[in-house]
Amino acid sequence: MKVEPDQKVRINVKVNGVLHEAEVEPRKLLVDFLRDDLGLTGTKVGCDTTTCGACTILLDGRSVKSCTLLAVQAHGREITTIEGLSSDSKLSPVQEAFKDNFALQCGFCTAGMIVQATFLLSQKKDMTEEEIRDSIHGNICRCTGYQNIVNAIMDASRRMKA
Amino acid sequence: MVRIPFKRLFLIIKMYPPQVGYFRPESLGEALEFLEREEAKVLAGGQSLIPMLKLRVLRPKYLVDIGGLKELSYIKEGDTISIGATTRHFELASRRIRGLEILQEAASKVGDVQVRNVGTIGGSVCNADPAADYPAVLTALDATMKVRSKKGTREVKAHDFFKGPFSVDLNPGEVLEEIRIPRLEGYSQTYRKVVRRAGDFALAGLALAIKLDSGVVKDVRIAFTGVSQGPHRAKEAEKVLRDSKLTKDVIKRASEASTSGANPPSDSRGSSWYRLEVMKRLLQTSLEVMANES
Amino acid sequence: MSYSGKSVKRLYDDKFVTGRSTYVDDLKINALYAAFVRSNYAHAVIKRVHKEDALKMSGVVTVYTGEELNRVIKEGIGPWTTYIDPRPWKIPKWRFAQGEVKYAGEPVAVVLATDKYRARDAAEAITVDYEPVDAVVSMEEAKKDKVLVHKELGTNYGYKNDFVAGNPEKALESADHRKKVEIGNRRLIPSPMEPRGIVASYDGSNLSVWYSTQIPHFARAEFSRIFGIPQSRIRVVMPDVGGGFGSKAHIIPEELAVIASSMMLGKPVRWTATRTEEMMATNSRHNVFRGEIGFNNDGTLVAINGTLEVELGAYLTYTEGIQPTIIPLMIPGPYRVRDLKIESRAIYTNTIPITMYRGASRPEATFIIERLMSTVADELKLDDVTVRERNLVREDQMPYTNPFGLKYDTGDYLTLLREGVKILEYNSMKEWARKEREKGKRVGVGLAYYLEICGFGPWEYAETRVTEDGGVIVAIGGTPHGQGTETAIAQLVADELQVPIERVKVIWGDSDAIPAGTGTYGSRTVSIAGSAAVTASRQVLEKMRRVAARAMKADVEEIEYKNGEFVHKREGKKMRWEEVSRLGYSGKEPGLSASVTLEGDVTFPYGVHMAIVEVDEYGMARVKEYRAYDDIGRVINPALAEGQIHGGGTQAVGQSLYELAVINENGQLAVTYADYYVPTAVESPKFKSYFAEKYHPSPYLTKTKGVGEAALIVGPAAIVRALEDATGGKFDFTPVIPEEILKKMK
Repeated sequence: MKVEPDQKVRINVKVNGVLHEAEVEPRKLLVDFLRDDLGLTGTKVGCDTTTCGACTILLDGRSVKSCTLLAVQAHGREITTIEGLSSDSKLSPVQEAFKDNFALQCGFCTAGMIVQATFLLSQKKDMTEEEIRDSIHGNICRCTGYQNIVNAIMDASRRMKA
Repeated sequence: MVRIPFKRLFLIIKMYPPQVGYFRPESLGEALEFLEREEAKVLAGGQSLIPMLKLRVLRPKYLVDIGGLKELSYIKEGDTISIGATTRHFELASRRIRGLEILQEAASKVGDVQVRNVGTIGGSVCNADPAADYPAVLTALDATMKVRSKKGTREVKAHDFFKGPFSVDLNPGEVLEEIRIPRLEGYSQTYRKVVRRAGDFALAGLALAIKLDSGVVKDVRIAFTGVSQGPHRAKEAEKVLRDSKLTKDVIKRASEASTSGANPPSDSRGSSWYRLEVMKRLLQTSLEVMANES
Repeated sequence: MSYSGKSVKRLYDDKFVTGRSTYVDDLKINALYAAFVRSNYAHAVIKRVHKEDALKMSGVVTVYTGEELNRVIKEGIGPWTTYIDPRPWKIPKWRFAQGEVKYAGEPVAVVLATDKYRARDAAEAITVDYEPVDAVVSMEEAKKDKVLVHKELGTNYGYKNDFVAGNPEKALESADHRKKVEIGNRRLIPSPMEPRGIVASYDGSNLSVWYSTQIPHFARAEFSRIFGIPQSRIRVVMPDVGGGFGSKAHIIPEELAVIASSMMLGKPVRWTATRTEEMMATNSRHNVFRGEIGFNNDGTLVAINGTLEVELGAYLTYTEGIQPTIIPLMIPGPYRVRDLKIESRAIYTNTIPITMYRGASRPEATFIIERLMSTVADELKLDDVTVRERNLVREDQMPYTNPFGLKYDTGDYLTLLREGVKILEYNSMKEWARKEREKGKRVGVGLAYYLEICGFGPWEYAETRVTEDGGVIVAIGGTPHGQGTETAIAQLVADELQVPIERVKVIWGDSDAIPAGTGTYGSRTVSIAGSAAVTASRQVLEKMRRVAARAMKADVEEIEYKNGEFVHKREGKKMRWEEVSRLGYSGKEPGLSASVTLEGDVTFPYGVHMAIVEVDEYGMARVKEYRAYDDIGRVINPALAEGQIHGGGTQAVGQSLYELAVINENGQLAVTYADYYVPTAVESPKFKSYFAEKYHPSPYLTKTKGVGEAALIVGPAAIVRALEDATGGKFDFTPVIPEEILKKMK
């Protein structure tokens, strides 16, 4: 695959189970592709410097910051965004737990935080509080002080085992 | 992850990459072919490169995306450990290698979970941020960098590879293919870093490997990150320690000697003075822990 | 059935956890993108803006500078006159830069393009010829008035006023002890997670603005004044807003440029700040108090005499005028000291303009008075609790008028302190820390007390409508943007109307749908918007009783309402809520809605907070635990209230230890999240939050006082005190950075 700087490139990306074909400039950031081209605005942009994690999505099942990937890098791969975590209007255990534990306030970090928590729980069910804190430091929340988020992730872990 | 050079305020408003071409090779050979011909930058995980593009610090004509090349993603164990350049941080962080435990420790401290999920050791190494984690480890361990181009292969010692801030010994057309690290069996090893906030680049970081025999230091490797233009091998401190017992006094003297030749910057993370203090304390604490364990 | 007092789950969380929230940048609208060219200089004359190259680029519609924009931007940005009397102020005209720039980062041109990448490309292609002139980027330099930020003002002082009560000179002379002090907060950045953004659409007669704001109605009034458009023709809509903390209650030139561009082009225009732009849009704090205190052997503080300096930055923002006028009033805090002189000064510099931030003047005042209390304790070798016990206003003095005339409504400060010391386990934790220190660890415990002024009238709007099918819509002038106060208000209304909470929908933030309003700030929403909603609900219920009475051919007095039923007391006949709702819209009745603008006043919650801090060998401090005991009046939703303590406490951690906006010699700022340290989950403490069971009510119908800012008001004083306990050092400025700690570590 070769694209000139002023050309667009055709990419195929599976997003939330749906295959999308699209033409993008090679420089287009993945987060802008998701938000502006596919209209999946659940994923947010909070910082631009790979710090805040509001743009966290799953790329082939692993959490990544979509502000720090090019859309073209996702060609041929599978993406799950916050919109893909619930189906038939049934919330995932992580989503339920965030609601039940008052783990969000303004909601702007929430999508990234939930996607990250979903990834973490897919890797390891039993995490200590310290492990959780250490695994979400790439997601900044300015409202909650994190305690309720940590509680929600532990709660989600219990729900997933039940 | 990216660090903002303090005085370059007005670069950082530009948060979209400039126009750039893109090439995705099917093999390393194809990548080398392309790099030979075109003005291009190698893209692996992108966790250092894409922020640089967003800041528009870099404006290559093309990106050569080697991130998907399976042939460059591996960890091979022998007397020497060979690591493919696009091996991801999380793969290194989840693998304990006998005689090279420090690598797992360092990899698990790179950036954050998301960055480790996609970022590569080769990408981080070639970005050569003076406060990055691997350069100090590779320097302390006398690693060898295997560099490929269409013309052939050459090997560079880590010490020579890191030339300065964001600058490595790679010529146009060349790609870092593999990193080779000798196994250090029987060494106590640790990588520690002091950060202002979790996930941040190191104020100062220390890679330390030490071999003790009946309490006497037979061999020792000390390298710091974040305190100079590139990784800082603390040869003076190593001299103090070699063939000595880890007594309080020796540890103290080694810590004092560790700053010799270091030239820490002053920036929003801390002053030069503070970084020197942190260096000394990092080494002191780490040696004390090792002395207690032995 | 009662909802109030329970931790009812937030009503509208589904959209946030599923990605269906809509912040301003999520709006799907066919608009041009704005991108700004910004000044590299702190102070310079703009000689020429070279637009030619940019205008040739694909997708670029036009480029405007101040020359064009200010034809539409008729008036300048001014202070919030609801709370700030502009008369004593020297105020420079602040529109889009024209001829001169006054701070590094000030926008000098705006590009309008069809795509945000191309807008950025074009902004980069614009060069500006500047002629740099002398700049003054520090408050200390600005005070000399040698280099002026605004020549036409003749001085850098924007405000000078002396707040005097009693006779501080005399009190100082007769005090057993005197001590010089210097206390302050350095500049920081509020940093809500959602960067600010705006979409403006002018259709030839009406202007619509979607805006990440806390104050849509004030914004409408300001846009009306600035652009000369009647308020009736402006609609301001606040979509989901990703946090504000007081930083989304002011207007910046970039936003005016977006509106002006839309008006000139006749097309929708949008702009979302990058994080860097967000961090340049709002800086906060930076105040220094220097002076002398007098105190007696028993620990009573008898005099405060000093100067308060507050930095303004290059212009007077909508909100910053609050600081130099309210900090002095709150310096006495909950203590009896009555002889004070505070010379309050506000100073312009060639730096990013400063705004209010969570707590707005009470954090500054509380940090000063709590540091003074701790200073007295240290000087006399008394403990922190004893000193405060000896100075607190006593219950028999309530309601208490403070020396500057503020009337503290209700409370028992001393009892709360004593209860707090027990509940927070202050003494045993102090003892634990002492023992840990003997073992070589650096841990410390610190406590601080606060009295907060909340509510900040003057009024709030609410309307309650009962729909034909018996649903309830509550429209409030308050503007929740993360606090969850909409849920608390739904609880209050559901209780008032005795209907299931599922029936109640709360709406806000659209100036066409809600005719009037003030907004959410100053920890006021549950008290003032909640009381307005309760009042409106009562009026609707009264209307429903009338409808029921007519239907049952009875007098209104004969109709009793209970649990969804209107009962004819004499005859025992009943009508269900739904029947009455339907009759309300039968063509014979005037419909079922009522609206009020409810007057409100200030109210004073208070509490004691405690921090446990650990410091490592590098001088890195970590707040391990944060505990709070507060009397915030009646608590409507404990989980929501606790959430405010957690969030405010974490921002207090940031202000105390991490967050510093460093301005360099060129007036430039470190401005990304990669080098400005908003705390992560690793730096944030564990929280324990308690509310006084025997609370002291406010005069509001809801009996609530407010909790939104408490932990950021008192937190820094508690954390710094704990740091002193841990290290043996003394710290009077926030943030305390690691190398300062290391230097003082014993």
